[in-house]
Order: sequence, then structure tokens, then C-alpha cells
Amino acid sequence: MIEATELTKNYGNVTAVNRVSFSVTEGELFGLLGPNGSGKTTMIRMLTGQTPPTSGSSRVMGLDPANDPIGVRGLVGIIPEQETPPSFLTAEEYLHFVAGIRNLDSVDERCDRWFDLLEFGDKRDVLCKDLSRGTRQKLMFAQAFLHEPRLALIDEPLINLDPIMQRTVKDFLVDYVQDGGTIFISTHILEIAEEICDRIGIIHNGRLLHTGPVDDPVATGRHLESFFLDLVRGDAGA
Amino acid sequence: MPVPDLFFAMMKEEWRMHSTVFGSLGFALFPAVIAIFAFFGALTLPIFADVFPYDMVALLIHALFLLMGVMVGSFGLMGREFMNRRFGQASLIAYASRSLPVSERRIFAAFLVKDTVYYILLYVLPFAAGLTAATPFVGLDPILGLLAFVSLALAFLLGLSAVCFLSTLYARSVALLVGAAAVLAVAALAAYGLGAITVSSLLPPYAFFLSPAPEPLALSLLLILVPAAASVLLVTVDYADRTKRFGNRLDPLAERLRGLDGAHFIAKDALDLLRSEGGAGKVLFSFLLPLALVWICLQVLIRFIPGIDPLVVFAVLLGVISATIYNWLTEFDSFTSYTFLPVEISEVIDAKLKSYALLNLLPLGVLVLAAATSGSAGTFLPALAAFASVSAYTLAVTVYLTGLHPNVMLYHAWVFLRYLLAISPALLLLIFASIVDPAYAALSLLLVAPAAFLLARARTRWQAWEMPKY
Repeated sequence: MIEATELTKNYGNVTAVNRVSFSVTEGELFGLLGPNGSGKTTMIRMLTGQTPPTSGSSRVMGLDPANDPIGVRGLVGIIPEQETPPSFLTAEEYLHFVAGIRNLDSVDERCDRWFDLLEFGDKRDVLCKDLSRGTRQKLMFAQAFLHEPRLALIDEPLINLDPIMQRTVKDFLVDYVQDGGTIFISTHILEIAEEICDRIGIIHNGRLLHTGPVDDPVATGRHLESFFLDLVRGDAGA
Repeated sequence: MPVPDLFFAMMKEEWRMHSTVFGSLGFALFPAVIAIFAFFGALTLPIFADVFPYDMVALLIHALFLLMGVMVGSFGLMGREFMNRRFGQASLIAYASRSLPVSERRIFAAFLVKDTVYYILLYVLPFAAGLTAATPFVGLDPILGLLAFVSLALAFLLGLSAVCFLSTLYARSVALLVGAAAVLAVAALAAYGLGAITVSSLLPPYAFFLSPAPEPLALSLLLILVPAAASVLLVTVDYADRTKRFGNRLDPLAERLRGLDGAHFIAKDALDLLRSEGGAGKVLFSFLLPLALVWICLQVLIRFIPGIDPLVVFAVLLGVISATIYNWLTEFDSFTSYTFLPVEISEVIDAKLKSYALLNLLPLGVLVLAAATSGSAGTFLPALAAFASVSAYTLAVTVYLTGLHPNVMLYHAWVFLRYLLAISPALLLLIFASIVDPAYAALSLLLVAPAAFLLARARTRWQAWEMPKY
């Protein structure tokens, strides 16, 4: 589903992502872990054609995001970390707006499903600017899955959600993968990865330090946290 | 944290915000462009002195700076939404009273001082400097430049403090705002009844410029300081819950527009416009009032310039002013809202152009009304051609130079200069040609070709643009 080869992104003199290669196969829940500023968001932006790589290449569902960003974004679902829905549309209007862009049918049914699952149907007629951050995140979640994509890329999936909703979302992601979908998440919260991911990558200062099954550190008798900290601190000291 | 420290932090923040988008040099040159513009504008004063007496020019400039104060104040108080859309989750010190151990009153006071200093340095000082530099060439006393600096700063502050005061009342209670507006209206009516309303009493800084005496200066300071102090005392961040609920109006609107590509984008533009701060009132103040002023000025002008056709000249200026509709359409939108959806930037621009074309029915109506009421029906067709062509050309220049960000990019000195150079010669030629014969206004149709070229280039030019990281 995702194949990254030597992906590099420079912003001026700063190298945000440095020759990163990895792959994600169908039906996998892959977590890219790293401290703040390690290159996770830039990686998602490159994989979804939101920014072109400085060098290297990638394939997402068979398409090259650098050459066909619209094709990639048409296929996948994306939840960016920072973006918020348009201020002066209601939650329901925003989902209809996204459905219009994606040429979807049965829009009311699709919307109702997400209002029910994420329990924010009572906010459907409220302007997005008046929604709480948590509700906006639910709305961003709904827009990403409205077209039932086979692959979703999510930047910090549980940000601003309360513990009850975090449970709902984690269960949804696990079910989604069990039903054949593929998820790529980036996060700095190790517990999320430990709980739901099949495989992880650890990125620091733009370099991918490790990829492998999430159980690997546990199998060798170590917690993911100490494994992560040793890797990152070792890299920082190198 | 003392107010001076907050002030310096906010000054730094304001500079970095602008220079992040434009580059330090591009933004630093913006005052220079204003100074150059004021300098050359002042050089032309003697040429038009018979038509536009100096005191009328001074009145217009003071009114302009008053309006600028109103705009800066409005942006400062309602700008969080704008900033979020433009830069993602922008976080400014002005909005941080809940997270910093500083009272909202203190932050607001520092914010007002910052806006005063920052925008006087950005707008008023360069304008006065340009005017002063021109005085030896036009036979005016250089001290006039200093006087203009003081009176224009007062006019700017008058607008700023008034809008801050009204916004503070609004934040406290809509009823309070309505009550204050009613009291002001009754007072104005009473003053009008007593014959006490004059231009000088309405705009004391202008009166001070005409006659630098202590009375208008004191009145100006009173009208600035009292509302500003009241704003600081009354400011609150605990806004009443004014959450509004709406049924789905997007789909019915898009359905009506289904013959057009991008109907959902156009419907969204309409809802943005109607539901954003100001709503339809924004149209009244930023569009119809300036047009009414232009029309009145033209009625004066025809007494001095024989052969001028007011409808044609009005149509040309109407075309330029209409292009500001594009600024409204992009005010609360940003391409970052679409980068995670299967949308080309050219699709968004195309939809904005269609929204613009639909909204141009409003100025078209104004033109028809002006033609019908002024008995200028004979020159309606060339006027219509001039309006449509100039509107399309000005829009095309704006889109080419600023993409989806005219409200931000036009502050870039180089962009602003290119904008002026692209528009001014075409307008002047058109106006002079129409003085020779109003029918020559039809020559404006020649602008349609460069407009089409620029729009085509804009679509590809902005496709690859990335917002600077903020």
C-alpha cells in the first residue's frame, strides 16, 4: 500500500526527512513514532502529495504522490494534525461539502453513521468555528473516512479526544484493519502504538532509526518506552 | 508581566508574523512604497488644485486614515479566525490571557499601544514623510508634513479606539451595543437639529489640520482616549455563548448552482460571506459607501472638467472597487483547508472566479441605477464595457499577484508596487480617452485579453505555491 524509497525533504537548510525508506502492506496498522519535530508530519505530507519530496520517491496505492497528488488524495483518507474545518459551515454542511468534492452518493446515510459512531449528532447544525477542539477532531475523522477508503493516513489520531472517545476511535481503527483496511498513523504517544499498531517505525531528526513489529521490544523483554528512549537518546548523542 | 514587556513582545510578534509571510525585506519596503506613493501623489496636487481644492484632498485623506483605523481595530479584535484560516492554529499573545499569568486588561492595553505604534510607523509616518519630501516642489510649507503626521495619526487612532470600544461593548452584550448605538444616534439627531454637525465636528483631527488650535486637538484626544480607556476597563474574554445553529443550506444552494462546475465551492463562498463577521453590513460599508462617495465626487468634478462623462468614469472606478469582492471571497479561506482533499488549487481559484462573477451583479445593479437616475443612458453601453473589462482586468492582476491570499500578499511591497503599476496606467489612459470621447471607453475591451492571459497564468503559478511554514 505504501512504499517509500530514500524520501528526503529539505526546508531551506533544515533537513526534515532524511533518506527514509520503509513499506506498509495491506491490512496493516503501521505507527510512525517520534518526538516532536522529528519529521512525522512532513512524512505524511509527502506521502499524500501535500508537499513534494526534495529527493527520493514513494508509491501510495500504486500511485506516485509527487506526480499524481490528486489521484492519491482521491483514494486515501487523510487527517492532518493542525487543519480545522471551514469556520462558517456547520458540521453537517462540511461533510456534505467533502462528499460533493468526492462525488459521493447516499451522503445523509454516510454522515449519520459518523454522527452516531463518534456521538456528535447534536452538533451537526453548529458552525465549525463554534465547535470544541474535540468535536472538530471528530469531524476531521468523519471527513477522512466518509468515502470508505482502503488506506487512511492520520497525524496524531487521538489529539483532543476524551478517554471515552479515544477508546471508540481505537476500536474503530482495529476493526477497520481487521476488515482489510490499512492505517498509517504518526504519533508521539507510545501507548497508542503499543495498544493498536501491528508494526512501528521510529523516526528522529528526520532519520528512520528502526522498523519492525510492535511486539519486538516486548519479545526481547523490554518495554516499548525504554526501547524508544534508548534509540532516540542514542541517536541524539551520536 | 509589565505592559512595556508585553508591548515589545507583541511588536516582535507582529513583525515576525508579517515578515514570515513576505520576507523581511519585502515587508520592510512596504512603508517605502507608501512614502513614494504619497510623494508622487503630492506632486500632482497643483495640477488638480482647481478641481480638487487642497482642503477637500485633506478631508479625503483624513477619512481614509480614519477608515484604516477602523479596519486595523476590526482585524485585531476579530482576527483570530482569520489567522487560524491563514496560518493554521496561530497563537498570538493577544489571545493568551487564559494561559499567561497576565490579566486580560493588561494584555489588551499592551495590544492597543502596540497597534498604535506599529501601524503609525507602518502607514502614517511614511505617508507624512512622502508628503514632506514633496512640499518644496509644490510650494507648500514643510511644516505641513509634521502637521499631517499628527492629524493623520489622530484620525487613525479615532477609528481604532471607536471600533475597539464598540467591539468591547459587543463582547459584553449585544443589548449594550444596541443601547449605545441608540444613544449616539439620538445625540447625532439632536446635534443635527441644532445645526451643530459640521465636517470639523465629526472629524476633529481634520479640523486640527486645517487650523492647528488647542480645541480640535483636545477634542480629538478626548474622543480617542475616553473610548480607549473604556475599552480597557470593560474588556472581557468571557464572551456570552452565541453559538448559532443552521440547517443544511449548502446542498440547496449547490443544487441551484448545479449548472456550474464547483457548485459546492461557490455555495460555500456564499455561506462564508453571509455568516462571517459583518455579514451583509460588510458589503454596505466597504462597497456601497465608497461608491456613493465616488459618485458625489464625480458630480463635483463635472463642473470643472468639460467633456467628462461621469457615468463612464464611475464605471471605470466601479470596476476597480469591484475587485475588492475577491478579497471578501478569500478572507476566510485558505488552500491549506483543501490540501488533504482531492482538489487542485486551480479548481478553488476557478470557483472563486465564478463566485466573483455572480457577485458582480451587485456593482452591475449599481451601474444601472446610476445610469437610470443620472440621465446618462446614452453612454451606458461604453460604461458597461468599461466596468466589465476593468473589473475583469483588476481581478486578473489581483489573482495573478496574490493567488488566494490578496488580504495578506498585497502588503508585500514588491507585490503592491506591481499591482499599482499594472492597474494605474490602464485606468488613467482609459479615463483620459473617455474625456476625449465617452465612446472610447469601449477600448477597455482590449483589457479582456491580458486579463484572460493573467488568469490562465495564475492557475498554474499558484498550483505549486506552498504557504511558508508558520
